Amino acid sequence: MDRVLEIGGVAAGYCGRLFVQAGCEVVHVAGEALAPSEHSALALDLYLHAGKRRIRTDDRKIIGELADRADIVVAEAPTAQGLTGLGFDDWNAQVRAAITPFGRTGPKRNWSATPGTLLAMAGYTYLMGDADRAPLTLPGHYAEFQSGGFAFVAANASRLAGERNVIDVGMFESVMALSQFTTVLWTCAGEIRSRHGNDFWYAPPSNLFPCADGWVYVNVTPEFWDAFTTFIDRPELVLDERFNTNIQRMVNHEVLYEIVAEALAPLSRVEARERATQHRIPCGELLSFDEALNDPHLAGRDFWQRIDGTDGPVRSPRSAWRTNDAPAPALALFDWERAGG
Amino acid sequence: MADGPLRGVRVLDLTHVWAGPLSTRVLADLGAEVVKIEAPMGRGPRVFPEKKLIDGWVGGGPGDEPYNRNAYFVKLQRNKRSVAVDLKTDAGRETFLRLVRVADVVIENFHPGTMPRLGLSYEVLASANPSIVHVSMPGFGRDGPYSERVAFGPTVEAMSGLADVMGYASDEPRTTAMALMDAVAAVNAAAAVVKELRQRKVPGPGAFVEIPLHESAVTFCGPWLIERQLGNPVERLANRHPGMAPHGVYPCAGEDEWIVVACRDDDDWRALCSVVPGLDSETDIAARRCDGPGIDAAISRWTARRDKRVAARTLQMAAVPAGPVNTTPDMLIDPQTRERGFFVPIEPGPTPMPGNPIKMRGISSDDWTPCPKLGADNAAVLRDWLDYSDGQIAELERAGVIVDRPPE
Repeated sequence: MDRVLEIGGVAAGYCGRLFVQAGCEVVHVAGEALAPSEHSALALDLYLHAGKRRIRTDDRKIIGELADRADIVVAEAPTAQGLTGLGFDDWNAQVRAAITPFGRTGPKRNWSATPGTLLAMAGYTYLMGDADRAPLTLPGHYAEFQSGGFAFVAANASRLAGERNVIDVGMFESVMALSQFTTVLWTCAGEIRSRHGNDFWYAPPSNLFPCADGWVYVNVTPEFWDAFTTFIDRPELVLDERFNTNIQRMVNHEVLYEIVAEALAPLSRVEARERATQHRIPCGELLSFDEALNDPHLAGRDFWQRIDGTDGPVRSPRSAWRTNDAPAPALALFDWERAGG
Repeated sequence: MADGPLRGVRVLDLTHVWAGPLSTRVLADLGAEVVKIEAPMGRGPRVFPEKKLIDGWVGGGPGDEPYNRNAYFVKLQRNKRSVAVDLKTDAGRETFLRLVRVADVVIENFHPGTMPRLGLSYEVLASANPSIVHVSMPGFGRDGPYSERVAFGPTVEAMSGLADVMGYASDEPRTTAMALMDAVAAVNAAAAVVKELRQRKVPGPGAFVEIPLHESAVTFCGPWLIERQLGNPVERLANRHPGMAPHGVYPCAGEDEWIVVACRDDDDWRALCSVVPGLDSETDIAARRCDGPGIDAAISRWTARRDKRVAARTLQMAAVPAGPVNTTPDMLIDPQTRERGFFVPIEPGPTPMPGNPIKMRGISSDDWTPCPKLGADNAAVLRDWLDYSDGQIAELERAGVIVDRPPE
């Protein structure tokens, strides 16, 4: 198994988390000053850093010594210049992966960034929120997690090939690479996707609808339309010319949404779920985090991984992959070690 | 096909829609030999009923082969090869299993019952090739109370809890209204493939790997789920941020033009105060949170008179995190994307496509190949992988087991 040194913030931390889930020995190094997150430090540590040795230091010499003893180094810095300042180019590990907001080259390589600015520049923010209001940013760490994932893929690919390599992953590009509603909609259809609240817009009805005890999201792509009419007890809609193609459903979405809202309003979320399962309709109940924690499906699949922290155990999502149905082993959040110890 | 560190890795790709093909695109960009195993009608009928597609056509129109020009589909298939084979026939299934014998990975995102119904369960694949890695990306997994449910990105996003923190106000939940969780699952699946390939010891056993879309969505929300167990509140804060202030989306000159500005710490704040008039550089973060509306109004007054790019550049020169709220035309002309060659005009038109965010020695978009036509590589793959003769291939074509266009 590889010895992995992970330096920096959330993106490198997520990459290191994947290496822990893959069974590798991971050392997490962080400096004294960390970028603010919307999560508490403990919650982030429990999620990202369980199962890792943790060393807090800004000492470039110590970091360099650790890097030289690692098979893989994953280093994240706020800018390209910051990465160079860490000594990244001097390290001797077989695979060195750099994660920075804009990559190591280009005129914006030293721009300051946050998750919010990256999502905006990569085209996501413009799409989210309501048409007549300011766009909404996506909370959380999408850009960091996805770029950490790309770094994990690239580092393992290099190791698989037995190659010595240096990897450059930019968060801005990671987000753009994964976009659904940007590039070809413009380059091939000449359209810029606009904001429509919760409405997926291109496959009506696809929206969040109120029901008796909350909300449900239905996502009726064209192949599900016929079954959907039965799901809402309106089979006659199959013959309704206003709705007989996807384009027609887009044109007449307002009246369609009224029909759907009326049909779903008396159902509980559980009833909607059971009917959707029966009719094979993509439908998801809007859950709070507390409800997601108590989701019977996740419990039934032994999804949660026990993390032992200083204040007792918590349940963390296990790795998104599961191999041969193997259970996720319990992990501990270790105390910080003294540099050089 | 692209060259890269995954050269020599053979992937049989049965995925469809978004998460699966995006995942195999990541692998193909790194040099894996990804062969799309496509149903004869997998790209739709020979004649499309609709002349207008939501995402349009590559190359400007449907042409004579509309099924090969659907931009939504094409965007995900570069650097892959295409074998169009009818797995519902005995000969098609047998051909596929022969390919499995010389492959490393089979990846699919069907309902859990689909592969067994085709007679292609993991057990069958493993009996053909004990070292095979079978990656399955179902909606909810092979077991559990929801295993029969149908899932798409937006429906599992709702179930992840994310709307607890997304929206304009406590009574206005919002979702991303896009298939965000497909992209999360895609990167997870690519990660799982390389992880399994490294841990596999050929000719030892392979693995069955499951990556449900739902679980990828919940995994994305991990820090908030832990936060709740620690007894900490989570709030729907619109564009504000619990750790940064100010943090918002501000109007710029022009219709529906915006900029995101954020201050991570006091240094950022002081830098912002040096640019935007009417702000007090001595205000600490607690006070900045309290005076959010007043600060936002001052920033908005400044941004509203400026082009979003100019405003972002001005703020960045003072080292303030700021970024224009871009659309695709903005991104295509961004000096950063241009200098790094991010968008690659690989498809007909030429149509620029989002590139590979991984830069490393030995990979380049110079050797990329565009989306293959349906069944374009039937003969080449059967010859290269299985040593099929021209006669064997012709027989499969005659029987309609392999095709290079949808049936009439």
